[in-house]
Amino acid sequence: MSSLQNAATPRVCAEPEVKVPVLSVRAIDKRFKTKSGDEIHALNKISVDLADGEFVSVLGPSGCGKTTLLKILAGIVPPSGGTLLYRGTAISGPQAGMGVVFQSSVLLPWWTVLDNVLLPIRVLKLDLTSYRQKARELLRLVGLEGFENSYPGELSGGMQQRAAIVRGLIHDPGILLMDEPFGALDAMTRERMNVELQRIWLSTRKTVFFITHSVSEAVFLSDRVLVMSARPGSLVENVRVSFPRPRNADLMSTAEFGDLTRHLRHVLGGSGAVHD
Amino acid sequence: MTKAIASSNRASFVVVVLVSLGAGLLIWQLAVSFTHIPSYILPSPKSVWAALADGLTRSPTERASFWFHLIDTLRATVFGFLIGATLGIFFAACMAEYWLVEVAALPYVVGLQSLPKVAIAPLLVIWLGYGSGSKVAMAAVLTLFPVLINAMAGFRSTPRDRLELMSALNASRLQVFRYIRFPGALPMIFAGLNIGIVYAMLGTIVSEFTGAQRGMGVIMTQMQSVSDTAGVFAALVVLGCTGYVLISIMRLAQRWAVFWSESTRREIDQ
Ligand SMILES: Nc1ncnc2c1ncn2[C@@H]1O[C@H](COP(=O)(O)OP(=O)(O)OP(=O)(O)O)[C@@H](O)[C@H]1O
Ligand SMILES: [Mg+2]
Repeated sequence: MSSLQNAATPRVCAEPEVKVPVLSVRAIDKRFKTKSGDEIHALNKISVDLADGEFVSVLGPSGCGKTTLLKILAGIVPPSGGTLLYRGTAISGPQAGMGVVFQSSVLLPWWTVLDNVLLPIRVLKLDLTSYRQKARELLRLVGLEGFENSYPGELSGGMQQRAAIVRGLIHDPGILLMDEPFGALDAMTRERMNVELQRIWLSTRKTVFFITHSVSEAVFLSDRVLVMSARPGSLVENVRVSFPRPRNADLMSTAEFGDLTRHLRHVLGGSGAVHD
Repeated sequence: MTKAIASSNRASFVVVVLVSLGAGLLIWQLAVSFTHIPSYILPSPKSVWAALADGLTRSPTERASFWFHLIDTLRATVFGFLIGATLGIFFAACMAEYWLVEVAALPYVVGLQSLPKVAIAPLLVIWLGYGSGSKVAMAAVLTLFPVLINAMAGFRSTPRDRLELMSALNASRLQVFRYIRFPGALPMIFAGLNIGIVYAMLGTIVSEFTGAQRGMGVIMTQMQSVSDTAGVFAALVVLGCTGYVLISIMRLAQRWAVFWSESTRREIDQ
């Protein structure tokens, strides 16, 4: 009986390899025209696949095109070349079922935190009353309990960013695109948020595309870490991180964790950046 | 402590304003007493006060009462303002949303903008007669432009990151307008409305000068024709106070609608 189960397990595990990626970009190129008439080559032939339920982090020097890549994945910035595939079909615009957390929090100053967080519900015309309860729970999870009726102008930068994270999660999107969501947080809060994010991810198994400047954060959270080169951004590294989950803070002091972060820092150094 | 400073500032503010007003009245009275300026050029503060009291204490049904005329002027100002503001915001929204509308409207906007708009008052009287219609129309026309121009600028200046946020949610054009563009443009719209309310009253008075049966402009023309300068002064005081009340109401509305804006907060603090 137990041997039968064991025999079945490898086949189940092998399945994701065969599956069509949820989101993939093929040979994406992006050039910006600046106001002065120059051309900026931001992304150079980038190809990435995001498998269903995979947590992928991206590291890279400032200005290398990480945000641009995220916006292309979200369908809000058109690429100059290449194709964007959603579950195997070419698409050219935003898809329902994606949640985006932008690098700046982009909260609307005329709404309370609660109303801001419920924006996706309003736009998607879902039932407001039932999601209000969920919004309160998520706000509590990120430590914003008691600030539901505050206005964004009354919050600190880090609190605003946490509210923006809740807004990205509220409609339960299958794909979550996050652009340095913890950038404005202190080290303690950041660690707590990392643990929370992992917990949410473990219970929902969303596909996550996560931009960060912290090598250890990337390794701690991810199934896979990508490294981009300085502009024009291209992929220079793609490593699988297979530490068992749930991971906790002790992992960070292990030798394997150290080896991996050292390797990534080395790659980043070679790509023209100085990192933590 | 900040509160104490603010309130002491407020107290000295009131004192300075009152002293300044008193000094002005005193100089006025002295000028009338010690020079020989005839009273049909510069009436004394006392005679203006008397004319004011007389005009305000009469029954509103009498033609010599200020109330009889003020009610009409006020009604035309408010209706004209509401119509002009609504149209201004509506046109601005259409022009900001649809390129075709903007380009098609451009020659008219530019043409009308360079025209001194009160100059069309005689035309409006020909078209709409001596009743309230021409007054309301004049007030509406004068309100329309500052509101239109400011609202356009407001709709246009929507930050790109807010548009990207909505785009990521696949929001419809109407949703973007309702949740993002319109509220974001409110500070600019109110800047236009604050100018608009002053212009609305201006338009009403000018229209009454041109030809009307009732209104502060009408009673002022009548007083002018019999050289009742004190009466004209009194009417100006009434208009000034009315304007002040209208502007204050606008400020209150602004404070209520755009409480979240930095510029509103700064304006209210001072
Ligand atoms: N709308 C735009 N117009 C012109 N140039 C742009 C635009 N958006 C981005 N760029 C350019 O593209 C390059 C990549 O920008 P991007 O924001 O993707 O960098 P990033 O990797 O996210 O940087 P950071 O880590 O500092 O956030 C930059 O050189 C930037 O100047
Ligand atoms: Mg960025």
